[in-house]
Formats: sequence, structure tokens, C-alpha cells
Amino acid sequence: MKKILFLLWLCGLLLTGSAPAADWKMDPAGSKLEFVATFEKTAAPGEFKEFDARLRFDPDKPAGSRLDVTVKVTSADMNVADVNKEIRGKDWFDYAAFPQAEFHSTELRRIEGNRYVARGILLLKGVKQPVEVPFTWTTAGGGAAIEGEFTLKRGAFGIGLGEWKATDTIGADVKVKFKVKLRKG
Amino acid sequence: MLRNTADSWGAPAKLFHWVMAALILAQIALGVMAASWRVSPTKIELFFWHKSTGTLILALVALRLLWRLANSAPLLPPGMAAWERAAARLSHVLLYTLMIALPVTGWIVNSASNIPFRIFWLIPLPAIVAPDERTADLAALVHGGLAALLALVLVAHVGAALRHHYVKRDTVLTRMLPWKTP
Repeated sequence: MKKILFLLWLCGLLLTGSAPAADWKMDPAGSKLEFVATFEKTAAPGEFKEFDARLRFDPDKPAGSRLDVTVKVTSADMNVADVNKEIRGKDWFDYAAFPQAEFHSTELRRIEGNRYVARGILLLKGVKQPVEVPFTWTTAGGGAAIEGEFTLKRGAFGIGLGEWKATDTIGADVKVKFKVKLRKG
Repeated sequence: MLRNTADSWGAPAKLFHWVMAALILAQIALGVMAASWRVSPTKIELFFWHKSTGTLILALVALRLLWRLANSAPLLPPGMAAWERAAARLSHVLLYTLMIALPVTGWIVNSASNIPFRIFWLIPLPAIVAPDERTADLAALVHGGLAALLALVLVAHVGAALRHHYVKRDTVLTRMLPWKTP
């Protein structure tokens, strides 16, 4: 009897999809981290080809959840050979000194439905700044995905120094877009 | 007078000639500066104006060619030697060819290097070739070579106009002047 009840409980759990906080690992194949700068008021898209995200998440009780992301800054690709050469330098990402960026959440909360926001600290080019990362949470099969976008001011992280601080040719705002496929792990 | 006659240019032909003359001179200066400037926001600005002006020139030359085909050009003065007529013909064909070939090769450079660009911040320029670094380098080389050829043909064009005026003392130069009405 106890066994049957346990199985029923397990089935219920699988059907409703409500589980206690689970640990999720990123599936790199289905994940993408893009950024869109502006170049003469025209979108200039790029992406970080290598990054990793880990999520401890309970959709119903997001308070105890955590999102941690590491980004290999040196994997940036802006689709233009000359631009890719330029962004390595000290004025831009400074690959030599700051090859990695990190985001660690300090608080996760639900906005409504499947929409959440992770507040945390972004470490980029040696600068720590608080950021809010909104995302949607979806599950499919045994996996899940988070997806969202937010905007950063490149100047706050010292990206574009010297004469590049001016924002008329290369805009101040950089949109960050992410889609992370997750599997339990 | 709008239409060309046997011995005069109409107003549209003169407008095309002088507006494009000004644009082409500015365009050569912008191109030389953009290519030689060190990497900086100024270089980006120079390229932006060079590309926008180039697209404008390409649009104008298309209209100008249509106008030219619909209106026969004034006749060359009598008494010109056969080689002079051939040189006039060749230089004009070259000018039109270069007015098309330069923007088109520039467009190929822009597409192949995959740089996002909107003409005068407004109209996105569609890509005409796939992104490829080698294509971009090759097209840039051809673009520069054609620009040098254009500079030579322009010197010949201006020199010939001055020769017509001061040496041959005919109306070839004066009839293109904007303030002269036949």
C-alpha cells in the first residue's frame, strides 16, 4: 500500500512538474549568449561562443534559488574580422587582463506566471555592478530552458575607453540576449 | 530648357553634372581619409559618410544614365580630329563605367566584411555577397585601383575641358556652365 501511494505521489509529481529546488546544468548545444551593440545607430550583433550557466531553481519557491554564469569573454565573435581584432584590446574587452566574466545571483523572484528576475552582481572587465536579469522559465520533456534579455551600459564596465567613451558612433547601450537549455544534473 | 539640343545641355543634364562632380570630389577625399585614418571614432564616421555618399552617387548615376539615354548629347564641335573624338568618347564611357563600378565594388567590400550599415542612418544596405574576408580584401584592392583610375580620367576630363576653352576656343566648356543659358 505504501509503495502504491509513493508511486501515485511520484506520478503526481511528474504530472504537475512541481518539484523541490533542483539543480540544472547547461546544455551548450541548445544555448546561446548574444549581445547587440550599435554601430552608427545600426545593430551590430555578436555572441560569446563559450559560457556556462548553473541554476538551482524551484519555480514555485524561487527565493532559495541561484543562478551562476561564467562567460569566456575571449570567445566573443562580432562577425566582422576587423572588429574581432579590435575588441581584444585594452580599450574594449582587454582579453589579456580580463578573460572571464561572471554573474552570481543574490536574489531570485517571480514577476508573474513563468516570468522571473534574478538580481545579482555582474563581474565584467574587472568591474562589479548590480544587474537585474529577467527571464522566462519553460519546461519540456525532462529538460528546461531559461530565456531573456536585458540592457547594459558599456561605459559602466569601462568597455570603450579613451575616445571610444563617446557614444555617437558606438552607442552606450548593449543588449544582452540569452537562451539557456538546461538538463538536470 | 530641359532637354538637350544639338549645341546645348538642358538644365537637368547640367544639374546632374555639377551635383555629381561635387559629390565625386568629396567622395574621393572621404575615401582617401577613411582608408588612411587610424582606427578611431573619426575613421568610423569617415567611412559612414563615404558609404552613404557612394550609395547616393550610385542612385544618381542610374537616373543620370536614363536621362542621358533619353536625350542625345550636344554634338562635338566640328573640326575635331578622329583621335580627339575617340578620346572624348572613351573618357566619357570610362567616367560612367567608374561611377557605377566604384559604388558597386565598395558595396561588395561592405557586404563581404559584414559590417552593419544603414545609408544616412536610414535605409539598411542589403548584402550583395556573402561575408568572406578574402572577398573583402580583393574587392577593396579593386575599389582602390578603380579610384586611382577615376582620378586619372578626371584629370584628363578637366584638362580636355580647359583645352577646349583656352586652346581650341570652342563652346564645349561654357555650354556646361550652370549660369550660361543658350
